[in-house]
Amino acid sequence: MAQQYVDMDTLKFLLYRVHDLQTVLDQARYADYDQASVDLFLNATKDFSDKELFPFFREMDAAPAHFKEGEIIVHPQVEKYMKKAGEMGLIAALFDYEVGGLQMPNTVVSAAAYIQETANNHLPGYVGLTNGAAELIIHFGSKALNETYVPKMLTGDWGGTMCLTEPQAGSSLSDIITVAEQAEDGYTISGQKIFISGGDYREAENIVHLVLARIKGAPAGTKGISLFVVPKKRRTENGDLISNDVNTVGDFQKMGQKGYCTTHLSFGDEKDCKGWLVGEANQGLKYMFMMMNGARIAVGRGAAAITMAAYQASLAYAKERPQGRSLTRTGKKDVSQEQTLIINHPDVKRMLLFQKVVSEGALSLVLLTAKYHDLSTTHADPKEREKYLLLLEMLTPIVKTYPSEMGSVSVSNGLQVLGGYGFCTDFILQQYFRDIRIFPIYEGTTGIQSLDLLGRKVTMENGKGVLLLSEEIGKTIREALGIDTLAPYAKQLSGKLELSQEVLQFLIPFVKKGDYQRFLSDATVFMEFFGNIVVGWLWLNISIQAEKALVSGETQYTGDFYTSKIHAMKFYFKYELPKTTALAEILTNKEVLTVAEENSWFA
Amino acid sequence: MKILVCISNVPDTTSKINFTEDDTKFDTNGVQFVINPNDEFGLTRAMWFKEKQGATIHVVSVGEVSVEPTLRKALAIGADEAIRINTIPTDGLFVAQQLAEVVKNGQYDLIIAGRESIDYNGGMVPGILATLLDINFINTCIGLEIEGDAVTAIREIDGGKETLATTLPLVVGGQKGLVEESELRIPNMRGIMMARKKVLNVVEPTDSIRGTEDAKFEKPAPKGAVKLVDSDKIEELIDLLHNEAKVI
Repeated sequence: MAQQYVDMDTLKFLLYRVHDLQTVLDQARYADYDQASVDLFLNATKDFSDKELFPFFREMDAAPAHFKEGEIIVHPQVEKYMKKAGEMGLIAALFDYEVGGLQMPNTVVSAAAYIQETANNHLPGYVGLTNGAAELIIHFGSKALNETYVPKMLTGDWGGTMCLTEPQAGSSLSDIITVAEQAEDGYTISGQKIFISGGDYREAENIVHLVLARIKGAPAGTKGISLFVVPKKRRTENGDLISNDVNTVGDFQKMGQKGYCTTHLSFGDEKDCKGWLVGEANQGLKYMFMMMNGARIAVGRGAAAITMAAYQASLAYAKERPQGRSLTRTGKKDVSQEQTLIINHPDVKRMLLFQKVVSEGALSLVLLTAKYHDLSTTHADPKEREKYLLLLEMLTPIVKTYPSEMGSVSVSNGLQVLGGYGFCTDFILQQYFRDIRIFPIYEGTTGIQSLDLLGRKVTMENGKGVLLLSEEIGKTIREALGIDTLAPYAKQLSGKLELSQEVLQFLIPFVKKGDYQRFLSDATVFMEFFGNIVVGWLWLNISIQAEKALVSGETQYTGDFYTSKIHAMKFYFKYELPKTTALAEILTNKEVLTVAEENSWFA
Repeated sequence: MKILVCISNVPDTTSKINFTEDDTKFDTNGVQFVINPNDEFGLTRAMWFKEKQGATIHVVSVGEVSVEPTLRKALAIGADEAIRINTIPTDGLFVAQQLAEVVKNGQYDLIIAGRESIDYNGGMVPGILATLLDINFINTCIGLEIEGDAVTAIREIDGGKETLATTLPLVVGGQKGLVEESELRIPNMRGIMMARKKVLNVVEPTDSIRGTEDAKFEKPAPKGAVKLVDSDKIEELIDLLHNEAKVI
């Protein structure tokens, strides 16, 4: 039997039942969609992933994308996947009908992308970046830019990238130095960009780079950054494509995601690189960051997907691999008995359940955030839009971080389930382990996300976002308190919510004193603490829906399916949620060890 | 040319199969249903006739409302209309009689059904259907060309292939080979959206004979654990094959 890499039942249960997709489909923008068509689309995406993604997953790791004689050589499936994804509507899915899009909800597109990423996390990035680059042109570009580039990008004929990082400016974008000089028909661009995912491949007809650069004479810092369309090939007056002096000068060989090329691009070596301004001058970073919520959800989703795929692989192994014997009532093993399957060992069960709660909890978080994204832009009531936008802002750094960080730990547990074989290249777990490691780094590292959560999101609008999120958590707690079997867990979560308020009451005074260094010094610990509580909330919510389904005798899924969700919630509340007590102790400890200490002490 | 593709709604091969009511009923809880693969080969070949020769494709299934997603998928792939015969399909004779009524009312030139469904593997429907309609029938069909009313079909036979010439109207029992697996189509989102607006007619069943009913289902015995025998202990292996596996 083919390897299972995604749990479609859980995906659909979370999407339709737990997060009630219908509330999104009820919005006027999505009038052409119903659950039946969404279901058909997701099933089609699974078929597409079975055929076009999963079979190439290990091959792409074994034969990495690489630089050769001025070009990037990628797996042949990259070109095929781009074209097929265009035909499927996966690149155009989110956009308005007027620009050739399908006006699908972000929540549904996220679910479809998740399926693909569970199948092969090396490929969907090519589509994701093309989609993101097209989105920037559609939102902020001129009519001419839209007409020239977007149609070819939505069909997958042309790729797209985001060019932010430079050799001297990674997380610190205020330091970028790529230059744009006004010319007769646009700008000439010169500079270097590194870590450009999907930046080049030989088979691409064209690649449309969205480049952050500084117009000569622009103000210093982020206020002087503009956004440009800089294609690999530009059109002549008669419509031919000619080189635009965008040169691939190398690539980065990585520990994971080896099929997803990471390039070093040089613009304007021959002083013949043309760029076209997107929107207004000096607004580039603002435009780029308007897309960042989507990009950060996408990173969290990719990590959640790898976590799920690794869980499925280790679960399959644990169900087949006999090793050792269960202890008898005397506390000894009976060696005359046949060996038992490793899934029967309590510690293996613990590792599998840990993976289950992380992978499904992370997926639930991704879907909820995507739902907030949809409602923040499409809800008919402006007050509701504002509410969902604040909730989205609150969850965005968490959805980027929890799946990435806890997913990495989860995949490590998956590898551990296989014992020595987990470390061997004959088995797939080691690949997931290497692939997921980039996710805490992509699109703003965990440290940066944590600064965003505590430094910006918690304090925004005098704590309104935290208050709204607490209200949402409170609703779930109240509902669970009304269900006898879940009430103890509701009380436990309620206690953790109070604990989070105590932690914030300890930290916020540092802001009032202007001691921001101290306030943010343990931001990453706060992220771990708060993310844990948020996922606890999501698990309580999942168990409410599972309990209701069991009580009403629903037959959409088996009884075991619903029971497994409640059991997983209990596992989370026993093994994961209590960790917040220790984290709170760290956060409220008055001793400060990471702010003013001397670097020489690290000898 | 007007084509009718008969579609069975069958459990996905990865589904866990269970039975209820003292093993007399198939338990559909948590089961994902798909287009019967042999029917899908037929639908894909029909799409070729639509695109190359302007054929019209209708799809039909016997079943309750739960089969509609499968019919919608066929519409999303490119069929023009769907018909659902609103009853529970029991045996092959019953299903063939229901389909025959649809064919009589629809004046179809070509009827493609899978040579068998992958759930009950009866393999009877296309043959009985052709008999009831009194028209030509080619089973285990792995190649199909049509020019006007003239049909050239390739049939799989024991150890080889047979090429047949016949005329429309015709019932075909199709299978892999009509098209290859790589040619099977995955519906795209535009197709899915268009499928929402296509006609899906629900017709009531005719009085037909239900020749059999399910008395009991049994699953195959679970596979035993694998035993590893050291390569230098051939006698032990022979003993196990003789006395335990009882295969020699």
